This record gives sequence, structure tokens and C-alpha cells, in this order.
Amino acid sequence: MVVAVVAVAAIVIGGAVGYVLMTQDDEVKSLRLATTTSTYDSGLLDYILPVFENKSGCKVDVIAVGSGQAIRLGTDGDVDVLLVHSPAAERDFVAAGYGESRTLVMYNNFVIVGPSGDPLDTKNSKNASDAFKKIYDNGTAGLAKFVSRADDSGTYSKELTIWSTLGYNKSQVEVFPSSWYIQSGQGMGAVLDMSEELDAYTLSDDATLYQRMSENIIPHLNMTYSGDSALFNQYSVIPVNSSIHTHVNHIVALAFKDWLVSEAGQELIASYEKYGHQLFFPNATPQTASIGSHSTSGAMGIGVEVVSRASACCPMQCTSRWTSDSVR
Amino acid sequence: MLDVTLLSLYVSGMATILGSAIGIPLGALIGLKEFGGKGAVKTLTYTLYGFPPVLSGLVVYYIFSRSGPLGDFGILFTPTAMIIAETLLVIPLVTGITITSVVEVDRSIKDTVKALGASPRQSIITVMREAWVGLVMACMIGFGRVIAEVGAAYLVGGNIDGETRVLTTAIMLETRMGHFEWAMSLGIVLLSVALMVFLFLRLLQEREML
Repeated sequence: MVVAVVAVAAIVIGGAVGYVLMTQDDEVKSLRLATTTSTYDSGLLDYILPVFENKSGCKVDVIAVGSGQAIRLGTDGDVDVLLVHSPAAERDFVAAGYGESRTLVMYNNFVIVGPSGDPLDTKNSKNASDAFKKIYDNGTAGLAKFVSRADDSGTYSKELTIWSTLGYNKSQVEVFPSSWYIQSGQGMGAVLDMSEELDAYTLSDDATLYQRMSENIIPHLNMTYSGDSALFNQYSVIPVNSSIHTHVNHIVALAFKDWLVSEAGQELIASYEKYGHQLFFPNATPQTASIGSHSTSGAMGIGVEVVSRASACCPMQCTSRWTSDSVR
Repeated sequence: MLDVTLLSLYVSGMATILGSAIGIPLGALIGLKEFGGKGAVKTLTYTLYGFPPVLSGLVVYYIFSRSGPLGDFGILFTPTAMIIAETLLVIPLVTGITITSVVEVDRSIKDTVKALGASPRQSIITVMREAWVGLVMACMIGFGRVIAEVGAAYLVGGNIDGETRVLTTAIMLETRMGHFEWAMSLGIVLLSVALMVFLFLRLLQEREML
């Protein structure tokens, strides 16, 4: 009896392993993109990716995690390309050799959010540092609270940068009293929800804030201070270095990067509106195409060659091509 | 939503089947055979009831990451990785409950079976038959554990839309975006699915189909 059961178990497991090994070499090689939860939750990718997928014939698999984890996925070679917004960490990633290049794509803004009525009058601050100083002074006096991401996110990096202008480095920030400085370790949406519950101030990207506001999830919060160029939130696209991780879908990663910064891609990003606002502002500098023996300058120069080499990795025929007037 | 539900059933179902295929024979072996260190093995099995799903996910992630030892299979961020991580959660549960059922049955019918002149092989078969109710219970509990878990599925699956999104990770996503009502309804769908599976397993339990 035991023999029979063991035999069945062996067959089932053998079958499963065989299935796994046989299905590993899919002809469909999709592009694996790691991005942050705030980027994903804004809905931008659901809007722009179908256009790229249609043009290239390649499917894009999006994995949305925190910035730190996204960069780790790139370091380990578990994804092909990153779209993140954490400039310091990105530079380290490229400098360490895991990222092939860092290309600016678009930006939006961080804003300071607080209880409606803005009891600390952060709205009338000289700059972001000044607003943070008001929060710090009132916090330590027991008159205000601040909820921090306290994770590896781009938002947290920005927050730390502002604290550093006031002379506080990361280890000092980490020991701010928890009576007013709440280190949540959560995503942006959850932090806003927490700030709503605690009548606290926080730093948020504007897209997540608009989303929460438009769905009336945070009726007691409002944007208070904004506009300082220090609150600029830069997004970049970084293909994973194929010399270190030879298996990555490099051609399609480059095609994706080129498309994002092409005139078509940039226009599409600018056209994305939600909650009554344009959420992302394209700011790529004119690029030379990544692939091709001819160099084409200008944002229009996305070579036909890029498209056809990309489709070599994807199962479908390309039915359309990028506009490529300036291809030589 | 249908593809998410079907994927949940597929991943957790496969994990339960594989986990039980390993756990039932293993549990029977541990329960019925005498060997040195048996007590320690049983204790370890019961301890692993508390094996955190997210830790199982982390272990599988480490092993199957491109930078890990078995990275070349490219299993990460596919349902296969999710099945492996969930199978690791099912095995200790099914093994442990099988041990308990089998030992209990063995104790109560051992003398009767011997008196009726059964050979060792026949007595094992009889024990397993009598323990049927407990074995199905083991599978039910194993399935319950993995249909409900989110840590492993999120970590090794990546919650990729159309590929590795299951009910639990979808609930995480919707909650993260503040869509609490929608997340709640996904939860109710999950419970309904679990209910149907358990009803089916209950039928099996009572019919004694072996």
C-alpha cells in the first residue's frame, strides 16, 4: 500500500518537474520591468504599455515593489529593466555596474501634506526645508506629528535629503522620537491613510495624493507646501547590464528605453491624465538611438532597426513601425 | 477577476496535491515505523506548522533568483515558483496531521487486525483506509493554508497582471490603492472558492472513496 502511494507521489512529482522543465523555454520572451508601487498605482503603465506592446509585439511583465527591492531585482538580474525614481540609489546601481545606463524619462513633484487648515502654516514656508523645520520644531514640542515612509523608497530618500539640509543625517532621523515622528515602513497610500487617521503631516508624491483625494479616502488632509525645486521627483529608465547578467532581454529593454524617450513615448506620457491632473511631465533629453550602426539624433530617431531586432525576440509580427523620418 | 480566481485555484490546488503526495506517505512512514530520533522528527514537523509563508517565499526566492543556485531555470515570477513555495507550506501540515491520524487508528485497530491474521502489508493498508477521514482533513487544512497565504505568492510571484496575480495578492494591491470595498469583495470570492473546495472534500471524506 505504501509502495503504491509512494509510486503515485513519484509520478505526480516527476510529472510536475517535467512540466516545469519543458515550459521553461517559452518562445514568448516578455520584457520584465521592475517599477515602484507608486508608479504602478498611478495607472500610467496600464495606459502606455499597451501602445509599446502593440508596436513591438512584446509583452511587458510589470513587477511593482518598493524602490529598494526594484533595484535589488536589477542587481540580481531577475528583471530586464527598471523604471524608478530614486536618483542617488540609481547612480550607485549604475556605478556598481549593474545598470547599463541611466536615462531621464519624466518627473512629477513631491508635496507636503497636512491636516486641512494647516495648523503649522507650512503653506507659507520659504522652501521645503523651512516647512520641515516648522514640522520638527512643533513635533518636538508635541504639537504635530509626521508620518515617514521609513523604507527604501524614492520618497523616503527625498525626505532624508530635506532633513539633511537642516543638519540631520539618516541615523539621526531614525532616532527622532516616535512620539511625533512615525516610521511606518509602508507604501505611500498607507502612509497617507495613516496621516489622515493621526492628523499628521507627511511627504507624498502628487499622483498618489490626487488618487487618494479623488476617491475621498483622505477628507481631512490637504496639500500644504509645494513648488520648491528640491521637491522634484525624477523618474529614470535603467536597462540591466547584459554583460553581467547575460540572460536578460536586452534588445527589448533597449527598445523600451528608446521608446519611452522618443517623441511618441514622451507625448503619450504627457497625455496621461487622471483625477483631473496631468500626473507626469516628460523631460527626456534628445537621445541617440541605442541600437543601430547609424546614429540618429533627435527624439524621433528611433530606428526601424530597433523595432525589427526587438520583434526578433517576440512572437508576433510587427504590424506598425515607429515614425522614423530621420532614420538614415 | 476570473483569471485571478482560476490562478489561485491552480497554484494552491497544485501545491496541495504535491504537498499531500509527499506528506501522506511521509506521515505514514513516521507514524507507523519505529526509528531513532522519531520524537525529534515529529517535533520538527509540528514546529513547521508555524513556518511563515513569507519566509517560505524568501527561501524560494533566494534559491531561484538569477543570482541564486537554481537561477538558470528562470522560475522566479512564474506560477511555478509560487507552487513550490506553497508546497513547502503544505508538506509539514499534511505530514503532521497524517502522523496523528495514522497513529490513532493504528493504536485502536492494531490488535484486532493482528488477531484476524493480517500480514504487515495488509495491516498498513487497513490502517490507511481507516485513517481516510484524517487524511482528507490533512489535505483540507493544507489547502486552507495556501489558498489564504499572500507572503510567498507576492514575493516569488511578483503580482504580475495576467501572469502571477492571485486573489490574495490582488487584495493586497487593491488595499494598497485604498479600494477597500473592492478588496473586501475579492476576499469574499476567495472564501466562496474555498467553501466549494471544502464541500467537495467533505463529500470525499464521507464516501470513503479508496
